[in-house]
Amino acid sequence: MNFDGKIVLVTGSSRGIGAAIAKAFAGEGATVIVNYVQNVDAADEVVAACKEAGGDATAIQADVTSGEQIQALVDQTLMDFAKIDIVVNNAFKPYTFDPDNRKQFWDLEWQDYQDQLDGALFSTYTMCQAVLPALKKRTQGSIINMASDLVARPTIPYHDYTTAKSALIGFSRNLAMELGPLGIRVNCVAPGLVYPTDASRKTKERIKEMIVAQTPMRRIASPEDITGPVMFLASDWSRFMTGQTLYVDGGLVMK
Amino acid sequence: MALRAGYLPGINANDVEWQTLTYDRDGQAIEVLVPLLSDEQMKDLSGRIKEVSRQHLKSMAVSDITATIDAAIARLLDRNDTYRQQAEEYLPLITGYDAEMVRLGLTGYLKTFRQSELRRFVAEDFVNPKILDEFQPLPKGGYGRAYGPDLLAHIWAGNVPGLPLWSLISGLLVKAGNIGKVPSTEPLMASWFAHIIAEIDPKLGQCLAVVWWKGGDVDREQALLNQADLVMAYGNNDTLHQIRDRTPITTRCLTYSHKVSFGMVSKAALDTGKAWEVAHQAAYDIVRYDQQGCYSPHLFFVEQGGAVTPQEFAQYIANELDCFEEKFPRRSLSIEEASGVAAWRQSEEMKSFFAENNAVMGDANDAWSVAYSEAEEDLAPSGLNRTAKVISVKQLDDVPARIAPYKAFLQTVGIAAAPEELQRLAGMLGAVGVTRISALEHMTAPEAGWHHDGRFNLLDLVTMTEVERSAETAAEAFSDYVD
Repeated sequence: MNFDGKIVLVTGSSRGIGAAIAKAFAGEGATVIVNYVQNVDAADEVVAACKEAGGDATAIQADVTSGEQIQALVDQTLMDFAKIDIVVNNAFKPYTFDPDNRKQFWDLEWQDYQDQLDGALFSTYTMCQAVLPALKKRTQGSIINMASDLVARPTIPYHDYTTAKSALIGFSRNLAMELGPLGIRVNCVAPGLVYPTDASRKTKERIKEMIVAQTPMRRIASPEDITGPVMFLASDWSRFMTGQTLYVDGGLVMK
Repeated sequence: MALRAGYLPGINANDVEWQTLTYDRDGQAIEVLVPLLSDEQMKDLSGRIKEVSRQHLKSMAVSDITATIDAAIARLLDRNDTYRQQAEEYLPLITGYDAEMVRLGLTGYLKTFRQSELRRFVAEDFVNPKILDEFQPLPKGGYGRAYGPDLLAHIWAGNVPGLPLWSLISGLLVKAGNIGKVPSTEPLMASWFAHIIAEIDPKLGQCLAVVWWKGGDVDREQALLNQADLVMAYGNNDTLHQIRDRTPITTRCLTYSHKVSFGMVSKAALDTGKAWEVAHQAAYDIVRYDQQGCYSPHLFFVEQGGAVTPQEFAQYIANELDCFEEKFPRRSLSIEEASGVAAWRQSEEMKSFFAENNAVMGDANDAWSVAYSEAEEDLAPSGLNRTAKVISVKQLDDVPARIAPYKAFLQTVGIAAAPEELQRLAGMLGAVGVTRISALEHMTAPEAGWHHDGRFNLLDLVTMTEVERSAETAAEAFSDYVD
């Protein structure tokens, strides 16, 4: 897969799955915008790894729950690189996947849902609005939104998180309908539990073993497992696919 | 930065010669300073430890010692404790083992040294544990008390994190003063443990020391052997032979040599529902610490006649090893280790040319290999580092006779079989020299109080002092109440 000359914007890519996606694109020759919100050192490390992998990269700080900061991120990217080909909406509101200490439904407040909706949906909505003029201008582009296989199978009911990701899939399908005629594709990738990432570090062995036992491929995903399907949806190899959700969880969910 | 290994009560660090060990793993270098004692220093240290052991340790109750060990282990289990954090950070760098494997392995291992387990450990060898504290009536008449040595010397080997804790804790439980020599491959864990003990109970901290010398440094080794009342040594047969030869004739020397362990899978465990789970467990035993333990399996005898054939079972194991490589990647191998693996693969591949159904699974570049054989093969160690062999057998009952010639090398057998089979096989395996039978997935995690190589871990360390009935009776004649 060759992404030479492609400009790829990956939100929340200083660590975890986002960092793996950034590095994978760079490894195929892309120029990657490594967006981060706090950890500048981690972002710089990802940029260095991208360059070492054979691509180009630059780190841009922006909080994706802020409309203004997203606009500034897109503006700066366009100023520096004149175009954007691929957007991966990967950032989300920090969430700890701790099965033993999760909030039960009756412990949740609407604000918990609101926070996750802001993290997953508002940020993606705003990002799409911000990049759309640039994508429309060239009537091409691929948007990939990161969901979760919990949407189809809430092994652990992380209500607020999973509800927001469910909304994101509905959002993406509608957007795919709207942007199809303009040559812009919108798809989702729904990973299973990915370990290790900062978010999943508290997930106990017992839970991981339980998931492994039910997963046909018999293991937990690593961040690198997620990159292939993302790049596939970003590439012309999937040029006739839009509005789809690819589950990347070793077969735990089959749809 | 340089870490400091060793623990030397009563010796000023500035008076000691420190050597630097450098570990370079995947571009991350780390230095560990290890103490090299002079002959004189070793003598002084031994003398002091013997003295404190006699004066203080021997008068402590076993329950107080277990309480202190328990408190030390609690710290090593506490993820917020600085020693635990150091262990999680540095042991993977020192040993090369995957960080997750070390983290989970430490917790699983250390849990076996909590107070309740330690009490079980003592009760396993002493029907009446009070016999370690004071004279107790003996069934045959008279009284007896068990005494640990004043100075127990440990010569450790290998790189499985924390392994030295076994014998060090055994020593403390029988109230022995201890000097342990750590191997260069993992010098830290025993050192940290000693420091923690000293922080919790400074006096008990004066009853143990952790030293180092380069493997093969005969003079330094001799200095310790000369002082010890009892020696426990680990390693290969050559090393152990030398140590035993140089141990003074009046000093007992207990040796633990390299062993071969294996698994057995009955056709009862090979239905379509259970076979994968069993293969998963078998693979875990292979992966854990890359087969560096004496209890790690090298091969699996798998019975024909189940819904899943031995060959398919081998394929399941192969896939599980591939999955485990994602979870717990194998450590990077030294040149010797890599060539050991390559040589084993090569010889297995050669065999597969001449036997139609033999196969070697996995590429030469993979971090694992599984060989499959239907031939009647001798028991032989694998190439280590995640290489294993599955041997198809008509019935498991045939296996004990096949392994009988290797009695001196046998240790653990992991078994997946129905209860009656387990009973029957256990009898046959015990008779040919197997000393431990466990479930698969538990081969590398012996339970508290296990009998290492079939020996009595604590009982082997003590000497009994008996007051015979005659002495009691005779004393009566000299009492001031005699009529």
